[in-house]
Amino acid sequence: MTAPLTPTAPSAVRPQGGRPLARLVRRPPAVAGALWLAFIVIASLTAPLWLPYPTEQQDFSAVLAGPSPAHWLGTDELGRDLLSRIFAAGGGTLAASTIGAVVAMLVAVPLALIAASGGERVEGVINRVTEVMLAIPAFIIMLAVIGVVGTNMPIIMAIFGFLISSGMYRVFVGAAKSLQAQLYVDAASVDGIRPVGISLKHVLPGMLNTVMVQFALVFAVAIMLQAGLAFIGFGPPIPQPSWGGMIQAASQHVYDAPWMMVPTGIVLALTVLSANVVADALAATTDVPQLQIALREPKRRMRAGASTADTQAAAGEGLRVRALAVGSEAVTLVSDVSLDVRPGRVLGLVGESGCGKTLTALSLIGLLPPGIRPQAGEVLWNGHDLTRLSEREFMRIRGREIALISQEPMRALDPMFTVGYQLGGAIRRLQKVGRAAARAEAAALLGKVGIVDAPTVLRLYPHEISGGMAQRVAIALALAGRPRLLVADEPTTALDVTVQAEILDLLRSIIADTGMSMVLVTHDFGVVADICDDVVVMYAGEVVESGSVHSVLEGPQHPYAMALLAADPHAGVEAESQRLASIPGQVPQPKDWPDGCRFADRCRFSTEACRRPIALTPRRSAEGEVRCIRSAELTAAGVTWAAAPAGVEPERVRIEPERVGAAEAAQAPTRRAEPEEARL
Amino acid sequence: MAVFVLKRALLAVLTIFAVSVIAFLLVHSMKGDPGTVIAGLGATKGEIAAINDKVGWNDPLIVQYADWALHAIQGDFGLSLIDGRDIMGDLADRLPVTASLATGGTLLSAVLGIVLGVTAVVRGGIADKIVSGYAGLAAALPNFWIGIILVFVFAVVVPVFPATGYVPFDQSPELWFISLALPVLTLAIGGSGFIARQARASMYDALAQEHIRTLRATATPRWRILYIHALRFASLPIIASIALQFIALFGGSVVIEQLYSMPGIGVDLQAAVARYDAPVVLGVVVIATIVVVVVNLILEMATRFLDPKLRAS
Ligand code: SF4
Repeated sequence: MTAPLTPTAPSAVRPQGGRPLARLVRRPPAVAGALWLAFIVIASLTAPLWLPYPTEQQDFSAVLAGPSPAHWLGTDELGRDLLSRIFAAGGGTLAASTIGAVVAMLVAVPLALIAASGGERVEGVINRVTEVMLAIPAFIIMLAVIGVVGTNMPIIMAIFGFLISSGMYRVFVGAAKSLQAQLYVDAASVDGIRPVGISLKHVLPGMLNTVMVQFALVFAVAIMLQAGLAFIGFGPPIPQPSWGGMIQAASQHVYDAPWMMVPTGIVLALTVLSANVVADALAATTDVPQLQIALREPKRRMRAGASTADTQAAAGEGLRVRALAVGSEAVTLVSDVSLDVRPGRVLGLVGESGCGKTLTALSLIGLLPPGIRPQAGEVLWNGHDLTRLSEREFMRIRGREIALISQEPMRALDPMFTVGYQLGGAIRRLQKVGRAAARAEAAALLGKVGIVDAPTVLRLYPHEISGGMAQRVAIALALAGRPRLLVADEPTTALDVTVQAEILDLLRSIIADTGMSMVLVTHDFGVVADICDDVVVMYAGEVVESGSVHSVLEGPQHPYAMALLAADPHAGVEAESQRLASIPGQVPQPKDWPDGCRFADRCRFSTEACRRPIALTPRRSAEGEVRCIRSAELTAAGVTWAAAPAGVEPERVRIEPERVGAAEAAQAPTRRAEPEEARL
Repeated sequence: MAVFVLKRALLAVLTIFAVSVIAFLLVHSMKGDPGTVIAGLGATKGEIAAINDKVGWNDPLIVQYADWALHAIQGDFGLSLIDGRDIMGDLADRLPVTASLATGGTLLSAVLGIVLGVTAVVRGGIADKIVSGYAGLAAALPNFWIGIILVFVFAVVVPVFPATGYVPFDQSPELWFISLALPVLTLAIGGSGFIARQARASMYDALAQEHIRTLRATATPRWRILYIHALRFASLPIIASIALQFIALFGGSVVIEQLYSMPGIGVDLQAAVARYDAPVVLGVVVIATIVVVVVNLILEMATRFLDPKLRAS
């Protein structure tokens, strides 16, 4: 057998939406596969009723014949009808394959459940045993088994099922463990249900899809294996037909009757292919990884037309974003974003996750995920519209003029290469220097970002350094091309609190030393207050308020900003979930954005007039802009979010406990323990 | 690392031991006992019993196993019941055949599979569909069927390769290569489909990693991102699939040996099983297990060495 006896299809822990049947129906190849399987099963089982010839009937007038009206698929060397023999052989083959697949599941599933619920020691033992079994040449053992049990296919397939179960176990144990882990946050284990009970009641149903996928794959391998065994003479006893035996007979007549191998081969291949296609369809998941690079280099510019010279003259230095919209073909994700960053200034981009702040930031450096692109507006960098650059033109900007610092330093560095390789490579590219010079420059850069023992760190791999140090390395990478603008996407979120302060200090001193500017994406007003000069608050894909940090934090004029800052201007947007809960309702999805104010459904002050499109207007007695038709009026009245004016319906302010439901609780079960009142 | 190697080596020895015990018990349960096999048809019960007594077939199993194992460790697997040839000497001739097949098949599978899988991801679109289709078909077509087609095309229609037979390397390297061409190609068609599938999935995974964005942000050329950084990231699961492929080919090459009439260990095992030649079955199973376990061990070490996270520990 050519393919390993261990089907290694992607394990489907989280299957695509819908029930298995629904998923099959949506894929034409899978429908065809399922239909073929149904056909071959029914046709084989009913074979005695309809077969045109008895399987052993020989017709010496038509030996080795091709297809004819009498013999649709031709005949073999004894003049036996191929069609009859193929379907007469089908029943036994399919039944024995089913036995193999059932045995494999009966061994592997309980093992996986035991390993997942039995703790590390038990799992360790089972893992070791299955590892040993995986390293055994199964086909050779099968041959030895045949010496004992003869060519009794059901028994041989049962033993095959046992041998292959270690491969199945490998697939199942991952699924079982993740399901088991999920259970601990749910109440099940607290209620005193014993682990075995949990496994049977909760884990097993969750694994059903994975089990079905593997069943289909083992079924297919078992058919192949039987054919292989029959081919080498270990099939059912002689006159009885088998697919492998028929192909073996055909192989003796390649010279004089090549047709003979075609029908059997095709039926066998179609059956195996069908089972595999059905398995693929069942295994298909929705969480297709989001690629970080377009697979085909976009030949076109992101948008038509080149940057024009007159805008260049008008715009002057620094970054100037005007009415930027970003989205995919189907949906707009960011709209009407305008902001300015003059040299040496730090702009904070604040909002909840999903508000479009990261997409806005990535569009500044042309690194939007594949399929998402600027749709309207301009990103002017020293007068050039970056949204109109080709990928190649952007290559001259990235790193050299605009650089990126990512949120998760560990994941931002390539785990397979040393710090020195990555940093040195970037320096050689961006500064066009030789290897030795780059090496020296790398050490100097690490020193600049506060790493004391640079020569050692250069030799280390990312996993060998701490998160804080990794972020310093990532900052050094960003500085490698001596850029004029840093785009930092939540650069401190993934770090410990003490390290956060160090990294912010480092960024502040870099800005002070180099005079570059920075766009800092964050959900944390504390960070904004700490390091930013200006701030832009985003909500549901658009800017709702912008201005200097001091004026926005001390006197927010947009109800959303007011709500966020109500109790404490140094609070995070996401860090404390209760603050979000103090705004009823949910952030609308991009496809549900209303034409009017996107905050209207949650806004305590909304009126009929808020349902019309609302533009950014200058803030009342301060620089900056705000997107609210009532802001002037509300600010003049000195209204705040917490102290609602009389006449506001009290139930609109109520907390909605549902919002911190399953999804959030699964990640942070401790949150549930907080007293309800804390949320107001 | 040293501790790890030691642990793994120990596990490998244990595996071989376990398989030898199982295989020993299996051949002892085979239908034919040595007396029946050797004496042949028409022998009396007394003659059969005499032979069985002579070879110690009726001794306690543990004694028989210990006797066999002591000899086996010194490279003596006994004599064939059927023709009395020395099993070890015979296997020494046969092993290179199967090893050439399995190694050649694995190498060609790996090269083809990686090229196809990576191309599928990098080119996308039609290329991706073609590679997926190829992988699907390769997984569904039995290798002996593919082999017959190849024989038909390259030995019957356009006779460029011999249909059957094997020429040892020391006899003529050139003919050795030619005699291996079709069998190796046969094995590689199925194998490359499997590895292409794995390579494709791993490349996809690699290109979805966040560090790819960092590389782009520092103006890394596209070819460098794809063929150095992403491929390096994808290399570990790909190598694991190559190891699986070798195990499968080594064990499964019996079918191909039969099809191309090659004197490998697979056909030897097949014939021995059919004739209840107990010592030969036992010898082949154990030797094959040793080869597979050792190769597996080496590849595992290689993977570990290639993974910076595991190298140090
Ligand atoms: S426009 Fe209306 S709904 Fe929107 S924030 Fe202002 S008051 Fe609230």
